[in-house]
This record gives sequence, structure tokens and C-alpha cells, in this order.
Amino acid sequence: MPTLVLENLGKKFSDHVVASSVNMSIDDGEFISILGPSGCGKTTVLRMIAGLIEPSSGRILVGGKDITNLPPNARNIGMVFQSYALFPHMTVWENVAFGLRRKGVTGKDLGRKVDEALESVRLTGLGQRKPRELSGGQQQRVAIARSISPQPSILLFDEPLSNLDAALRDDMQIELRRIQREVGITTLFVTHDQTEAMSMSDRVCVMANGVVQQFASPEDIYHQPASSFVAGFIGRPNRVRCESTTTPDGARVVSLGRRTKIQFDQSESNSGNGVVDLIIRQEDIELSTDGGSLGGTNVVSAPATVSMRSFIGSKVQYLVDLEGAELLVTTPTNGPCAQLDVGASIFCGLKQDQIFLDDQRVVA
Amino acid sequence: MNRLSSSGVALSAPLSLLLLLVFLVPLALLFPISLQPFQDGAAGSGLTLGNYSELVTDSFLRSVVVETLLLGLVVTLVCLVLGYPLAYYIVQATPRMRLALTLLVIFPMLLNVVVRSFGWIALLANRGLVNNLLRDIGITDAPIRMLFNHFSVLVGLVHVFLPFMVLMLIPAIQAIPKDVQNAAYTLAATRRRVLWSVTLPMSMPGILSGSILVFVLSISALVTPRMLGGGSYKVMATLIYDDFLQTLNWQAGAAMAFALTGMTMVLVFLSSKLLNKFGGNE
Repeated sequence: MPTLVLENLGKKFSDHVVASSVNMSIDDGEFISILGPSGCGKTTVLRMIAGLIEPSSGRILVGGKDITNLPPNARNIGMVFQSYALFPHMTVWENVAFGLRRKGVTGKDLGRKVDEALESVRLTGLGQRKPRELSGGQQQRVAIARSISPQPSILLFDEPLSNLDAALRDDMQIELRRIQREVGITTLFVTHDQTEAMSMSDRVCVMANGVVQQFASPEDIYHQPASSFVAGFIGRPNRVRCESTTTPDGARVVSLGRRTKIQFDQSESNSGNGVVDLIIRQEDIELSTDGGSLGGTNVVSAPATVSMRSFIGSKVQYLVDLEGAELLVTTPTNGPCAQLDVGASIFCGLKQDQIFLDDQRVVA
Repeated sequence: MNRLSSSGVALSAPLSLLLLLVFLVPLALLFPISLQPFQDGAAGSGLTLGNYSELVTDSFLRSVVVETLLLGLVVTLVCLVLGYPLAYYIVQATPRMRLALTLLVIFPMLLNVVVRSFGWIALLANRGLVNNLLRDIGITDAPIRMLFNHFSVLVGLVHVFLPFMVLMLIPAIQAIPKDVQNAAYTLAATRRRVLWSVTLPMSMPGILSGSILVFVLSISALVTPRMLGGGSYKVMATLIYDDFLQTLNWQAGAAMAFALTGMTMVLVFLSSKLLNKFGGNE
């Protein structure tokens, strides 16, 4: 049975639609990320679930019970805020005890549960400190301990790692996943960082302009983007403005540079002539020094010259020139095409099912 | 000295010079007077601490000091109790409403304190507006005495100093991050619990500085206690005024003035210590 169900959830501020028709069904113990650029409505959805923002339409169900009209203090939903939102005048111990006290936990039970929560986030012994005496990462852990200690039915995270530096963020990602698995709590995690979302979650919900673009496993999001927005947002895609024409028999032809023409079926296109954004990931482009080896069905072999090479550790990145269009291409350092010189003539293999066309120009 | 700090000195020089000439120098001249004995209506010879010790030993002077401190305390508490909900409401209000309410709070400060005191006399007198109204609607037969007692002084001082309290509280309440209160709500706290355990303690810096300001202003207020307290009502400020301008006992007046200044400075010092303790509320 799903723990959390969102039904046609929407929010309008006067005339501005922040979120519309958000549908989601989340199972017990799942770790879900809501991923999207800033302003896409992901935080609004989270706050509606917490009860901090009143939805304009739709329903929120937890364990089958409609909680849409309950105030936040009656929902039993924990939330970790971007700013941590710790109580600065209380000790770490008192911060964690706050939610437990509201549940009527007292005496020995209270002490034991607070100590357990502090132990689960590895802060044993820091209970008597004030939040301002802790580092950012430690404050983060206090916020987590505080929200899990009253055993909420769902735990919400609002970009909790965005205030931490890169190294600490990596540690906290693993730490968070560990805590979540130990406690087994259903978790919704809002982030604009796709690596974070992909690496931590069972499923990822990609949002843009208040609308859910795709809600699927990280693998599916990556390999089978449901829309050109998702394709352009996930990974490190190239986005190239191209000329587009329609042949007499209805197929669509997109010109990538002056020498390469790619033909698409009618189903791939929804508008005919004009310009279109072609989206393809850097790592999906195959390089070859001779055009013949790039055969196979639905692979377009585009002649190009190398105009820049940069070594980035495990990968080599090339900027290749297709006469009128440029593409970034990454290839493994130990691969066959890792040692190309600037000016070298090569061929780019573009698989047609990895190319996405964006007529709306939804820019991430 | 680097350029920045030297320009800082230059910028603050005019004010420093003015304060030195019209404030510190007279104060320094006054101090020896507070140590002179007062004999037969004039300054006696020699030095004494008698003017200071009398503030404690003389029962009349002691009662005036106690009265002053009590008055300051009560005015501060009343301002806090009346001002906090008002400041809290102003912070929550829409921007337009907030501006209107803040202007309303500031408005009394634009009127001279003498005018305001006369206003209260007209309201609180035996045949004043309030008593006439009470009699007309039949609540009392005889007028209730509301003027020239503790009540009128309290009302007058609260009226004068409430804006200070509110103006100190507004930024303090505003500075509390909304998400800290939201966090408390998601932890199943009731509205009352959030107010008591989160909002009030976190506005402590504003409560403290507002209270200190109102207390210090109250114990040194002269016009309001003089006009609304009646001839026999004495606080330290009115007594100092009498000593200097009526009985011409400058010695006792100076000692009391320094005692008042000393108490104020101790308070400000203690409050800044306390503020540091509550600091770092970000």
C-alpha cells in the first residue's frame, strides 16, 4: 500500500501557477527525489505535503487518509529545512527532544530516544552544545535527528545539502542514505543537483514549470527520457540550434552543421520547418577516425574536425566542429580516441534514439 | 593609522567635540559639587560622601529612589505586555498594513510631551472626559480619582515610551527565520507552544534592548511625572530638578544625578553582557 499519494495537487499564487496536476504515489520506505531547476515548483510541492503551503487544488493522502486540510502540527510529517532551522537558543539535546516532548514522551524514555537519535546521526556527546557551536555538517545532522526522533510517517528534505561544501556533501549523501535505510522511513528529497538525485534515490521525479516531466527510476530517467526537457536536463547534454525542413513524404530533416543531415520519422516531430534544438549527451556520441566503423542501424555518421581537447581525468573532452555547429564529446581516457590532436578529422556517431528535438525551447 | 580609521576619526570629530563641550565638561564640573557638604543653604568646606550615603540612609530619599526604580520597572513591563502583541501583529501584517501601523506607532512621538501630558490631564481630571463619560452612563456617582497619582504617571509614561518598545521589538521579531517556526509546527507544536518556546525566546535580544531603553528613559523622565504626578509626587528626576532650581541644594541634586547616571550605566553594561549571551541567533 502506498504511503503517500498526491492527487492532482496544484498551487496558484494569484495568477501564477507554481505547480499543477502533480500526481505521485510513493511506497513505504521509498527514497524519492524531486529534481528540477530553481523555480520549477518542487519546494512548493514539498511544503504542501508538510502543510506549510495550502494547495489550490488536489488532495494529499498518507496511508489512505486525506490530510489535505490538516495543519502541519497534526500531520506527523518530518521536515529538514535548507537552512536547517534549528532552535538557536536550545542545546542540541533540547532541539532533538522538542518533537518528542510534543508527542508526550517524558522522563527516561525521552532521554533514551534523544540519545538514540543523536547516535544514529553520530553526534553522541555533543548534546550539550548550542547549534552555533557546531559545523554546518553537524548542524545538518542535528536537523535530521530532530526530524526523525518523533518517528514521522514521512520525512521531507528541502535541498538540505546545498549549503555544504562539495566534499562534505558527498559524505552526507552516503550518510543520509544510510540513516534512511536504517530507520526505513519514506523519504522525499528535493534537490536541483541531478547527481545527488540519481545517486540517492529509488525513483526520481523530474519537474519543470510546475509540471511533472517524468517520474521513474534513475536508470530510466537517464536512458529513456520522457521528454526533451528531461533529455536536456539530465547528464551533460549538447543543445544545438538547427535548421529543420520537411520532405515531401512527411519526414523531418534536421541539419546539424552544413554537411550532416539527420532524418526523423513523422512521429518524432510535431512541427515542420524552422529551427529546432537538437539535444544529445556528450557521452552518447561515439568517435571514430574512419567513418566506416560507425555503421549499424539508425546511427548517423557526421564528419567533423577536433577544435579543442581537454583532459579531465577519467575522461577526455573534445570540442568538435561540424561546420556550422559545434558539439562537446567525452570519451574514456583509455578508449581508442583519447589521443586525437587538434585539427584531426574524425567522425561522430550519433544514435538516432539518443537524439532529442526540442521545439518549445524549454531551457533548463 | 590607516586611511580608513583616520577618516573615521575625522567623520566623528564634530559630534565628539560637541559632546565633550556640552556634556562631558559640565559633568566633570558637576562631580566635585556632589562631594561638597551642604550647610546653611550654601556649599560648606571640605569633601564628603554624605550626599551619596543619604540616598540610602535618609528614609525620604530612599523612598524616592525605590519609587523611581519601581515606576521604571512597572512602565517597562506594561510597555512590553502591550507592545509585544502589537509588534508581533505588525510583523505578520501585509506590507501596506505594516507601513500604516508603524506610522500609527510613531505618530505620538511627533507631539511634544508637554502637550501630551496636558491631553491626559484633560482626559483624567475629576471633571475630565473619562469621568464625565463614566458618570453619564451611570457607572459611578462620584468621580474616580485618576489624576495626580501613580495611575496617571504610569499611563503618561507608557503612552510616551510604548513606541520605543514597539520599534525595538519589530526588527527583533522580523529577524526570526520563518522556517524555524515552521520547523516547530512540523514537530507537532501548537501555536501557543511555538510562541512560548520559539518566538519569544528568539526575540529576547529585542525584548532586552527595548526593556532597557524604556526603563532608562522612564527613570530619567521629568516632564511626565511632574505634570501628571502632582506637586507631592517625587521621583529622582523631579527631585533633582527641585534641588537645582528651587531649594538650590546643588550638592544633593548633583549626588542624585550621578547616582541615577551610575545606575543607568550599570544597567546598560549588564544588558550588553546579556545580549551577548543571547547573540548569534541566526
